[in-house]
Amino acid sequence: MEYLKSALASIRHNKGRSFLTMLGIIIGIASVITILAIGNGMKTYVNTSLDEITNGAVTINIDPKKTDRFLTPANLDTIEGAVNEIYGLTPRFSGNVGCHMREDMIVFLEGGAPIVEREFTDGMYKGHCFKEDDVEGARSVGVVDQRTAILLFGTDDVIDKTIEVTYNTGSTEITIIGVAASTPDRIAQAKQARQLRQESYYYCDVYVPYTLLTQKMGYVDEKITSFQLYTLPGMADEAALKVKAAAENILSLRGEGAVKIQSFASMAAMYNNILNVVTLVVALIAAISLVVGGIGVMNIMTVTVTERTREIGIRKSLGARTSMVLMQFLTESAVITLIGGIIGMIMGFIFTKIAESFMPFAPVISPMHVLLVVSISIADGLFFGIYPARRAAKLDPIEALRQE
Amino acid sequence: MPSLVDVQDICKVYNPGENEVRALDHVSLTIEQGEFVAIIGQSGSGKSTLMNMLGCLDTPTSGKYYLNGVDVSHMTDDQQSDVRNREIGFIFQGFNLIQSLTALENVELPLMYRGVAKKTRMELSKAALENVGLAKRMDHKPTELSGGQQQRVAIARAIAQAPPILLADEPTGNLDSGSSKEIINTIKSLHAEGRTVILITHDPGIAHQAKRIITISDGKIASDVINEDYKPM
Repeated sequence: MEYLKSALASIRHNKGRSFLTMLGIIIGIASVITILAIGNGMKTYVNTSLDEITNGAVTINIDPKKTDRFLTPANLDTIEGAVNEIYGLTPRFSGNVGCHMREDMIVFLEGGAPIVEREFTDGMYKGHCFKEDDVEGARSVGVVDQRTAILLFGTDDVIDKTIEVTYNTGSTEITIIGVAASTPDRIAQAKQARQLRQESYYYCDVYVPYTLLTQKMGYVDEKITSFQLYTLPGMADEAALKVKAAAENILSLRGEGAVKIQSFASMAAMYNNILNVVTLVVALIAAISLVVGGIGVMNIMTVTVTERTREIGIRKSLGARTSMVLMQFLTESAVITLIGGIIGMIMGFIFTKIAESFMPFAPVISPMHVLLVVSISIADGLFFGIYPARRAAKLDPIEALRQE
Repeated sequence: MPSLVDVQDICKVYNPGENEVRALDHVSLTIEQGEFVAIIGQSGSGKSTLMNMLGCLDTPTSGKYYLNGVDVSHMTDDQQSDVRNREIGFIFQGFNLIQSLTALENVELPLMYRGVAKKTRMELSKAALENVGLAKRMDHKPTELSGGQQQRVAIARAIAQAPPILLADEPTGNLDSGSSKEIINTIKSLHAEGRTVILITHDPGIAHQAKRIITISDGKIASDVINEDYKPM
């Protein structure tokens, strides 16, 4: 307590110099806080966007290079019954087809069971998704999203209109029975992706009963190489592992690595790992300024000790022990860096506010970071204060008193 | 009952070997409780070394020094610090106040190092400052005080914790004659209250204010006499 008071008094006594000494620490702490906050914010952003995109969907692929055993619709029913953490699953067949309505469009038929509706994360705009009897009858009905409807027909009022598609064994007319909503966000995303690819093509998906592909386009429904499951919130990883294990059991492919989970959750985990490493590395680089700042503190404290040799002599002659002088100067350097750390933190808050205004996401400062930064700045002062404080403590009182 | 100060055959040698300097050469001396002693000598006579020795700021090359019956001649730095804190009140020529602290805070320092609680410390320090007539200047920084006032703050600091010995090293050396007189009177009155005072000086006029005068020359005690002319306050 007394040390603290005396430290504050001498810092106040030398305001200008104390502030200049703190500058290094201020810059260091401000940049570390800002970087950690941006990294944190980016992580939250990536995670929530991935969650929004996938809505808990996980794709499982069976690698045809590793096995010639594939799943049947009956197998999928068995798996669905065995795993609780899912809403359901659907075989997925996908085929590129020709369409004469627009030359600059590449159209995919996306075959699935009715539960594929879960993929329309923004809900249905008009009509409805195909039903179980459409699948059984392999009817030529389909769902497009608003964006595709506008691209193809110039309007999103397209229920009961037809799209004629061609494939190598023939052609078919698909009647549109539902239009999935596309939020402006989603449309903007698609536009952006197209610009990024620098292509003049539009990619469009038409969702149809998977039996349409198996019966008309030569796909074999007893050979399912890809299927999708829709997991309960927060269960994606767990459910995917269970489903994978069940599939491996059925096909006796345990441990062969032929069944692969392609989930956005595991992608998200990967992104998080990368982001963590990048954040850490950049934060460490910023932390170099803390070392530089610490050396500044060491310099100034050494000068201070030299200037205050007489004061140290006085204190020792009055009965201050070595450890008391040591503590006094350590406290002083720790208080300097702590104040620097607090100012740096405030600067960091301001920087993140500024950063927020031109970034697509909000940086997040966590209480853990604040705690970390405060302890780092104190530790910085203590560490770099040791040398000057020891010099002070070891002074011979007679020599010190002789000093003018 | 041992003597308060009992110095036995002390030597202090710098640069042992060919160019050795004997600052103190077999000095023995005792001072009893309640005495008022002046130690006088020219510069280079060894009086400063003797004062450092008596003040436990230095250790002798040989010989023993018993302070209040305890051998303090071969102690560690921290033990010496404790002895200085408990036994000795220093009054220096250059006042040696800490510039960034107020008068009161300066007086509190030795009490703080002793571990006295804040409240008691304040009471003792205020009493000491009142004793030297500075009750109204407690919150002033040293730079806001005259030389005589600064020295009185230093005296208050020396007496605040009531040490057995007051060790004054040229206490009037930096003061004009008016302030000098004032300080000497303060020291005399402290002695009258029963304190043991050791006054180190080169000025015979100042030395003559004491009851007993020890003259030191070439590291040896040249004379040790009772001052017949001593005038109490």
